[in-house]
Amino acid sequence: MRQTLRRNVTAHGFLLGALLCFALFSWYPMIREIVMSFQRTKRGHTRWVGLDNLDLLTQDPAFWQAWRNTLLFTVLALALGFAVPFVVAIVLNELRHAKGYLRVLVYLPVMMPPVASVLLFKYFYDPGYGLFNNILHTLHLPTSAWLNSSDTAMISVVIAATWMNMGGATLIYLAALQTIPGELYEAAELDGAGLLRRIWHVTIPQTRLILSLLLLLQIVATMQVFVEPYLLTGGNGPQGSTTTVVYLIYQYAFNFNNYGAASALGLVLLLVLAAFSAVYVRLSRNND
Amino acid sequence: MRTLISDTQLNRRRGRIVYRIVLCLVVGGFTLVFLGPLYWLVTGGLKTTQEVIQNPPTLFPHSVHFDTYGEAWSKMRMGRLLFNTLYYAFGALAFQLVFDVAAAYALSKLRPVLGNVILGMMLATLMIPSAVLIVPQYLTVLDLPLLHVNLVNTPWAIWLPTVANAFNIFLLKRFFDSVPDELLAAASVDGAGPLRTLWSIILPMSRPILGVVSIFAVVNVWKDFLWPLLVQTDPKNQTLNIGITSLSTGVPQNVVIAALAIASAPTVVFFLIFQRNIMAGLTAGSIKG
Amino acid sequence: MNRDRLLRRSVALVAAAGLALTAAACSSSSGSSDGGDKGGSADAAAPLDPNTKVTLSIDCEPPVTKAAERKQWEDDIKEFNKQYPNVTINAKDASPCEEPPAFTAQLKGKTQPDVFYSYFTDLNQVLDEDGAEDISAYVNEKTVPALKDIDPSVLATLKSDGKLYGLPTSNYKMGLLYNRKLFTQAGLDPDKPPTTWPEVREAAKKIAALGNGVNGYGDYSATNQGGWHFTAELYGLGGSMTTEDGKKAAFNTAEGKQVLQNLYDMRWTDNSMGATQGLKWPDLMTQMSSDKLGMYIGAPDDITYMVQTLKGKYEDYGMGPMIGGKGALLGGNDYLFKKGSTPDQIKAGIAWINFKYLTVGKGQFQYSRNKADGLPVGLPQPAFFTGASLEADNKAKAADATVPVANYAPFINTPVPGKTEPANAQQIYKVLDNAVSGVLTDKGAGVDKLLSDAETQVNQVLASLQ
Repeated sequence: MRQTLRRNVTAHGFLLGALLCFALFSWYPMIREIVMSFQRTKRGHTRWVGLDNLDLLTQDPAFWQAWRNTLLFTVLALALGFAVPFVVAIVLNELRHAKGYLRVLVYLPVMMPPVASVLLFKYFYDPGYGLFNNILHTLHLPTSAWLNSSDTAMISVVIAATWMNMGGATLIYLAALQTIPGELYEAAELDGAGLLRRIWHVTIPQTRLILSLLLLLQIVATMQVFVEPYLLTGGNGPQGSTTTVVYLIYQYAFNFNNYGAASALGLVLLLVLAAFSAVYVRLSRNND
Repeated sequence: MRTLISDTQLNRRRGRIVYRIVLCLVVGGFTLVFLGPLYWLVTGGLKTTQEVIQNPPTLFPHSVHFDTYGEAWSKMRMGRLLFNTLYYAFGALAFQLVFDVAAAYALSKLRPVLGNVILGMMLATLMIPSAVLIVPQYLTVLDLPLLHVNLVNTPWAIWLPTVANAFNIFLLKRFFDSVPDELLAAASVDGAGPLRTLWSIILPMSRPILGVVSIFAVVNVWKDFLWPLLVQTDPKNQTLNIGITSLSTGVPQNVVIAALAIASAPTVVFFLIFQRNIMAGLTAGSIKG
Repeated sequence: MNRDRLLRRSVALVAAAGLALTAAACSSSSGSSDGGDKGGSADAAAPLDPNTKVTLSIDCEPPVTKAAERKQWEDDIKEFNKQYPNVTINAKDASPCEEPPAFTAQLKGKTQPDVFYSYFTDLNQVLDEDGAEDISAYVNEKTVPALKDIDPSVLATLKSDGKLYGLPTSNYKMGLLYNRKLFTQAGLDPDKPPTTWPEVREAAKKIAALGNGVNGYGDYSATNQGGWHFTAELYGLGGSMTTEDGKKAAFNTAEGKQVLQNLYDMRWTDNSMGATQGLKWPDLMTQMSSDKLGMYIGAPDDITYMVQTLKGKYEDYGMGPMIGGKGALLGGNDYLFKKGSTPDQIKAGIAWINFKYLTVGKGQFQYSRNKADGLPVGLPQPAFFTGASLEADNKAKAADATVPVANYAPFINTPVPGKTEPANAQQIYKVLDNAVSGVLTDKGAGVDKLLSDAETQVNQVLASLQ
């Protein structure tokens, strides 16, 4: 009995530091986030306003635009940021030479400060002296306005983001590919399966778990995109084409000084992501 | 080890040719895509203000200007920014190692009352995207509950929130779980207290996972943007990311590029030196975790 | 260990706060006992007693990178302390002096200095956070002798409900900045800048024809600055952003359309604005200082920035009146006084601001010193003096001018009435960013649609803010 007590005291002693930090910087802010969503502060007085903050948000056309943009970014970022590393990982896994070198290359941008990558891309994207248009021009291909058109601004942001971040996913896929037992490929080959069918019937099913987990993580991460559009287009982009939900939170809080609306928007984002995760869990359960 | 394509297939004449072509394309393409921008970064910093915004751009600098790097170093206060970033990163690392290891150990081996509830509440925070909490978290560091201390413009505003990292605790706890209890029981019979056990049995066995947690801790602070933008408002305290963004508005493009090159150098060089360990650690951590 | 250090830290803070309180108590007691004959701190209207012992913190000290301004600031503090030996000024430097997140942070945390820098447009936000002290009772002809000569429209921006909260330190009216070198190269008369939009278009076309990446005209269209410049351009044509009561948008008019149509025509019909858009401060200055941009609208101190930071030359830049000439966007910065400051702190703050920023021939207006220190003399900024002070200042400025004053003659000789920014400016600007970036990045953009969309949106935003 006394020993149990002592063990418990020691254990909670060990937990104390982390507990305090979680309490202060995760649990308490979460409660506060919910509370503030229903409050408004004016001239130093805070009062309850019910759903007024949400009302204000939905009347702001930027709200819907930010959601459209964020979804577009997520879809594009997944098409690129999910598929490209997977293909790269498969190719790398087949190579018998230069593998270490290539792995280092792919991971290199991950190690750079994001500001360096983003500002470098901004320099490349310049429609006049930028590298990209000059390469396209030399190859006699049509040039692009890149960040300077509402049609191409978002995809430009996605390209930069993919370059910056694909290293992490590639390494994980690569590790997953190496866990696939070689006999499976051999068996498939004996059945006469070609290259693509082997990928379809062996590689993908064998890595499905890690693929689907990364997919969810990437969705959650990309829906919180901030730094890339903030630095590449100043946040809004041509005709608001790169305004994301998190940038809108930033605007409401720090430019409009409306913490209530910013919190309400954060809460909506949380609910959307939670719904996403729930649907994902449901689907992956049905599949098993 | 057998992969998608068998060695026999590759050893056939056609296979060898195709493989050679693919290898060349991949090596060439990757070098262009991933090293090309870095080349542009380094040489851009050597060009003159006029040349760097010249159309068409030049592949080699007409004349080499190392002094641009000196200008970037002094004008953008790179020394200060680098020091700040390192200070925040390693401070955060220290706090995470101490508190998160202690907590994971308590949850894994000491198993206190309510331990599972606490673990559950910690893991629940994984479901909350960091961007959602940015506003209330920010208001919290402005005026810490109970203590009423303002952490903005102190390193604490960066260090302490990083401790609340459920992913670390999860990784560490799972690793500690795999340490056999008999080992600990034996130590306990020898009279070792929990701290001794942690220090001399668990930690030496946990080097790989500690490495992974350390890399994540440092890289996260190194790469963070929005949070330091909000909590380190004094130019003296800013991180590389924030300092360069705000100072880049006042200097010519070539100086900005030189500053970006300087800012990228430490982590890139560190990575190149320790790439084997880092990659092994990262992949091991992500798969086993 | 962590908790321990936190605790120690908070103890230290409490101790520091205690000390500050004692100091404040001491200062006010010494003020009232020694200063009996002059009224002391009991009488708000009386100037600061020279013997008063008071400590105050203030921000926006020039950073070390601006060596000359920094030295002047330090010299001025010494000079000020000769008159007020017991006033201790704790200055904090920063560059720029205000960044929105940091500014918001200090208001929320109530950590702003006793005397703190802000833009004219910040007053509402500061009052929303209950962050500033009403100083009406402290400001009079005795504490600020030049008060009667300060432009009432400038002071009006620092008042709310008839109460005065701050004192201006600088202000500007926007006009047309242009690159004289490019004007000459393009065969235009650098002493006669365009004053109407058709003239601007003509000039921009000729400048852009120089080629080599040179653009005729440039404009911002990101980070709410597109909306800000739209406002300035609309004011030039005599328009308004909102109705008098600030509750409805008022820019969907012939003037508003003209502003957007001009930009559209220059971007797409004349191709005189270049393909790089989405610009934000200080991109246009960067372009102009590297001789890639002919004209843009801006404030006089942009010239200082282009010369001192971007290494341009004074003789290359000229300034003309705002296009259209009906109104010029007026902005500026000021110092406010933290809520809860002691009367002596407020008095000391006013005395310092008066000395440094509001006295002809002293502080920022000590032109002989500016000249000796290599700072520009002769720019039409600040511009808050009227009457006798204006005359005296102009005379002093002319005597020590270091910049080619003639280059700004078109701006100075064509006075355009100043017009302040609308209430809730940032929210409105955010919406107008879309309209401006629309005409600058979308060849198929329809001006009418962009403007009516913006009108609907601004009306929604304003309605939700009521």
